[in-house]
Amino acid sequence: MKRAFVIASIAAVVLAIPLRVAAHHGSAAFDTGKRVTLKGTVVMWVYSNPHCLLSLDVTGEDGQVVRWIAEGQAPNVIFPVGYRKDSFKGGDQVSITVEPVKNGRPLGRILQVVLADGTKLGAASSPPANTPAPPSQ
Amino acid sequence: MKMLTGVLVAIVGLCAAGDTFAQNTSPGGWLTPQWDKPPITAANRKPAPRRSLAGMWGPADGPGAGTQAQGVPAKPNNGKPENQLPYTPYGLELYRSHKALEGFDAVLPSEDNDPRNRCEPLGMPRENHYNVRLTQIFQDDYKVAILYHYDNRWRVIWTDGRQLPKVVEGGVDIGGELRERRFFGYSVGRWVDDYTFEVQTVGTMPDDRVWLDSTGRPISEQVRVTETFRRVDYDTLIWSETIDDPKVYTRPFETMRLPMRLHDPRTDIMEYYCSPSEQENYNKLFGNAASGKGAP
Repeated sequence: MKRAFVIASIAAVVLAIPLRVAAHHGSAAFDTGKRVTLKGTVVMWVYSNPHCLLSLDVTGEDGQVVRWIAEGQAPNVIFPVGYRKDSFKGGDQVSITVEPVKNGRPLGRILQVVLADGTKLGAASSPPANTPAPPSQ
Repeated sequence: MKMLTGVLVAIVGLCAAGDTFAQNTSPGGWLTPQWDKPPITAANRKPAPRRSLAGMWGPADGPGAGTQAQGVPAKPNNGKPENQLPYTPYGLELYRSHKALEGFDAVLPSEDNDPRNRCEPLGMPRENHYNVRLTQIFQDDYKVAILYHYDNRWRVIWTDGRQLPKVVEGGVDIGGELRERRFFGYSVGRWVDDYTFEVQTVGTMPDDRVWLDSTGRPISEQVRVTETFRRVDYDTLIWSETIDDPKVYTRPFETMRLPMRLHDPRTDIMEYYCSPSEQENYNKLFGNAASGKGAP
C-alpha cells in the first residue's frame, strides 16, 4: 500500500499554485501546493455535509490497489462549480488531481476531476473572492 | 391622470424587475443561484428603493467572498502585525485556548475544539462570518428578519422603537426584569437615512459557547455589535460590522465591509447544515486519518 502511494507520489506534479479557499475543515492537514494525479475506479461518492467524499481504487505499477479518499466542500458549495449528487457512480473510470495530506496517507482534496467522457470539473471548493463562479448550470 | 401615472410607474417597475432576473432560468422552475452577474455600471445602475433591504442577497464578489475562512475579512488571521487584534490579557488567554482549523495557528482536523464542529449554533456575530452565501432579508413595519444560509438560522431586528436591553450580570435587563442570554442576542435597528440601516445587538452568549470567527478569535457576552446596511443602489448592499467587547478587546474595531448583490428572489437555496452523524462519518472516513489517527 505504502509502495503504491510512493509511486503515486513520484508521479505527482508539484506546483506552487494558489489554492482555492478552504471553507470548513482547514488547510493544516494538507501539503499545500503539492498535486497528485491519480487514475482509478470510483468506489463511492458521498454527497453530504460537512464534506463530499470520493473514494477511488488506484492500481499502482506493482499491481497493488490503494484506496484513496478525496474530499470536496459541502454540496451547496460545489454545486455552482458543477458537482452533482450523480456526478460519480461506482465503477466509473476517472482521473483526479488532489492536494494530498502531509502525513502520507492516501487522502487529499479535489483540485480537478476528469470523467470517463472527458468532462472536466474544477476544484471542489469555492472560487476565491473576486472570481465569479462559472456560468450557472 | 394620477391613476394613469401610477399604472405607468407600476408597469415600468415590473419591467425593471423582469430585466433584473430575466437571464435566470432552470429546468422545472427550481432556479439555481446565478453568480455570473454582469457588474453594476452607470448604464445598468438603478436607484435604491427608500428604506428597504428586502431581497435575496449574495456576496457581490462571488460565492467564495463570504466564506471568511481566514477570519473576519477586515482583519484576516494571517500573522501579519497589522491584522493583530487588540486583545486584553484575558482575550489573549482565551484565543490561545481555542484550537481552530483555520487561520495562522490552525490545528489538524479532529484536534480542534471549535463549537461549530459539535453543531453548536454559531450565534452573533459569528453567523455573519461563516460562509455567508445567499442571505434573505424580509421586513415589515416592525422588524427586519435575516435568514442565513448556514444551518437555516434566522434573527429578528426590531424597528418598532423598542429599547436595546442593558447587559447585566447573568443576562440582560429588560424593564427591570432579568432575561436570558441568546445565541443571536437582542437586536434593534433604525434608519439613519433613507438608505442606511443601523443595527445594535447585545445580550449574546458567553465566551465558552461562541467564537468570533473560524480562526478561534474569541468574543464574550459583553460584546456590542454594530451593523450598518447601506443600500447604495437597487442591486447593491454594503454590510458592515464593528464590534466593541471590552472584556476581550481593548478597543472597538471593524470586522467586515461586505458588498452584497441582489439575486433573483425565486432562487432555490440548497441546505447547508451541521449534522452530528454526518460529521462523525466524515471524521471516520477522512478527518481522523488526515490527522494521523488510527491505523494507516
